[in-house]
Amino acid sequence: MLILSRKPGESIIIDGHITVKIMRLEGDVVKVGIEAPIHVPVHRHEVYEEIQKNNQEALAQTVTKLPSLTAKAKPTPPRAVAAKNSSPHAHQH
Amino acid sequence: MNTLEVMPTERHATNDKNVIQLPYGLLGFERVKNYVLLTRPQEEPFMWFQMVGEAKRAFLVVPPHFVLADYRPDLSELDVAFLELNDPSEAFILNIVTLRGPGEATVNLKGPIVINRRTLIGKQIIPVNAAEYAIRHPLPRS
Repeated sequence: MLILSRKPGESIIIDGHITVKIMRLEGDVVKVGIEAPIHVPVHRHEVYEEIQKNNQEALAQTVTKLPSLTAKAKPTPPRAVAAKNSSPHAHQH
Repeated sequence: MNTLEVMPTERHATNDKNVIQLPYGLLGFERVKNYVLLTRPQEEPFMWFQMVGEAKRAFLVVPPHFVLADYRPDLSELDVAFLELNDPSEAFILNIVTLRGPGEATVNLKGPIVINRRTLIGKQIIPVNAAEYAIRHPLPRS
């Protein structure tokens, strides 16, 4: 593993198009800013692994009886969140 | 490990031509990019999100409003742009169900599959507010 020392405000560039910037230190928390092209998915590792594991379990099951469900509500569309100001509405083109 | 092989003949695609494309695949299944959504009336509201090609393996999925009335995943700006969602109503959401035992099942509310109804492009997203939702949200016992 390549280990680099960085100070807040300093950054690392990967493959010429992904920038990882150390934003600030808050106690034992490091705020990291990542700029990557839209086709490069960026996830928190533990959440990514958790979902990956759940997907694998979901596919590895045998079908017994399906649970019974009735609708609890009408579908509600998701919200889109702007990176900085958390607008409750999806952005419009 | 028992692998689910589904595709009884009576199970039919909601529309044969409607292949849903997941350019990133599902997490852990990044190489499988094409899916179809299959339904059987007696299984509603559950549906099967089936890999195209491959070995016809399928995920059991459910629209989240059957599980949690006020489920509202917040999509990041990047995901909205990637999915080319012009309006929230264009987003069709499915959540993966895992059968854990007889009558016992959980649904993943932390990593929904969001599909643009207009383009049929989808992505398994991690919502900005993922921390509010469980990856193993229990379904009522049947």
